[in-house]
Amino acid sequence: MNTRGQRILLWITPFAGALFVLAWFMFPVFSPQMSPTLSPQEVAAFFRANVSGILGVVILGNLIGASLAPLFAVTATQMSRIGNSSAVFTYAYIICIGIGTTSFILADYCWGVAAFRPDRDPQLISLLNDMAWFLFTAPVGAIVVQNLCLALCVYLDSRTEPVFPRWVAHFNVATAVLMIPGAFSLLYKTGPLAWNGSLSFSLRLATFSVYVAVMFLVLLRVVGNQRDNAEMIA
Amino acid sequence: MNTTTASTLPAAAAQKIPWRKSKKLDQWICYWSVPFFYNLFGIVFVPLSWMMPPRSPSSPLPDVVAFMQSHNLLLACAILTLAYGLAPVSNAVYLTQMKRMSVNPAFRVTLMIGSIAGAIVGMLFPLFCFGLGAFRSGYEPAVLQMLYDFGYLAFIGSLGCFCAMWMAFGLAILLDHNNILPKWLGYYTVWQFVTELVAAPVWIDKSGAFGWNGLMTFWLAMLIYVPWQFIVYVCIYKAIRDQPEDELDNAVARKPGRAPAGAGA
Repeated sequence: MNTRGQRILLWITPFAGALFVLAWFMFPVFSPQMSPTLSPQEVAAFFRANVSGILGVVILGNLIGASLAPLFAVTATQMSRIGNSSAVFTYAYIICIGIGTTSFILADYCWGVAAFRPDRDPQLISLLNDMAWFLFTAPVGAIVVQNLCLALCVYLDSRTEPVFPRWVAHFNVATAVLMIPGAFSLLYKTGPLAWNGSLSFSLRLATFSVYVAVMFLVLLRVVGNQRDNAEMIA
Repeated sequence: MNTTTASTLPAAAAQKIPWRKSKKLDQWICYWSVPFFYNLFGIVFVPLSWMMPPRSPSSPLPDVVAFMQSHNLLLACAILTLAYGLAPVSNAVYLTQMKRMSVNPAFRVTLMIGSIAGAIVGMLFPLFCFGLGAFRSGYEPAVLQMLYDFGYLAFIGSLGCFCAMWMAFGLAILLDHNNILPKWLGYYTVWQFVTELVAAPVWIDKSGAFGWNGLMTFWLAMLIYVPWQFIVYVCIYKAIRDQPEDELDNAVARKPGRAPAGAGA
């Protein structure tokens, strides 16, 4: 059984992780992150003061978002190996990744356009910044459903040697639940649910980072255990 | 499939089959939509709207306003928002050939994700920005400038999803044991991937080689990308043409013994 291709795709994930660490330490502009209560003038001042940092995050963010795609793609093909009655969860999972990546990249661009010309009208800088936070924090629906699809697929695995260990399903449900608060960031400007709050920002980002790291290790093992050559995904 | 078709097949194959009867008609329809799509893009981008080659990021404000409010720009956006639906077809043509390769479907899924995200962030959204600017007169110049920046930055700076796509495509060609596409095309595709990375600093400079209309970000990418696109299509043409009929999904009978496509590696 040759799994070289899958392993090559998986090892792109640590590269994404390294870019994330680089972005976090080289450009600490989002830690502590901006408050939603800032006035447009204050937002514009923040962008003027942090142009290079924000642009650094934007450029790295674009690459980080794209370099996570292979990890999810390998997950999808392993899901399709489970062999439930159909590939319905796999298809839903793939579409969710496409949507989630799109909203993340659009958020990234909004910050980029705001920082590209920081001397533009503060109203516009503030609008772009709000658009970015909305797209970055609120559309958690895709990732919640993505994780639940994976979890259900694993729960329904009736093979004698399951593709994924059962705890991966529990882990995905837990991660999905921890992502949910982000959707309510639209309703609050202060407190834990605001986009800079403990639930919508710190917990969510930490959960996602741990999730990617754990899933990377899980998939290395799942791919390592793959013995059959069965055709997967239509 | 029934037995009558099977018995008449060799006789039919001996004669020249009319193109409408080709078993690969589905693939050829998709294939020939692609040059149509790119030609339309070329015409609309260059002589109709002069959206490309990109205008300078440091154009004076009156020039930006005049461009953003030109009627041809709105017409261009209308044509392109209709035509961009063909981008998924061209990517499906790649995917069909990748499915024949002896590589894991994860490569196809990666390309699929990149193409879904790329069509929106790299095509629909920039067209939207240009279209919004051209739709209504009376916006303040600052608003038009924002839409102008957003349009060009999203067009030229949308590199992440395309990096993922070309990486998956290039690696699949290189790892494939069925030799569906030539190996050198795999290496060339790696170069296409590199030009996407070179465009990364487009967010920083407003002039010079790394501005969005610069030598490195736009012209180098064009120099490598345009021939690459042509060559890929020639290679794909040969791959479709040379695909044995018994290997097609609508083949009457399949020959055993070939490495199964879509599994392994």
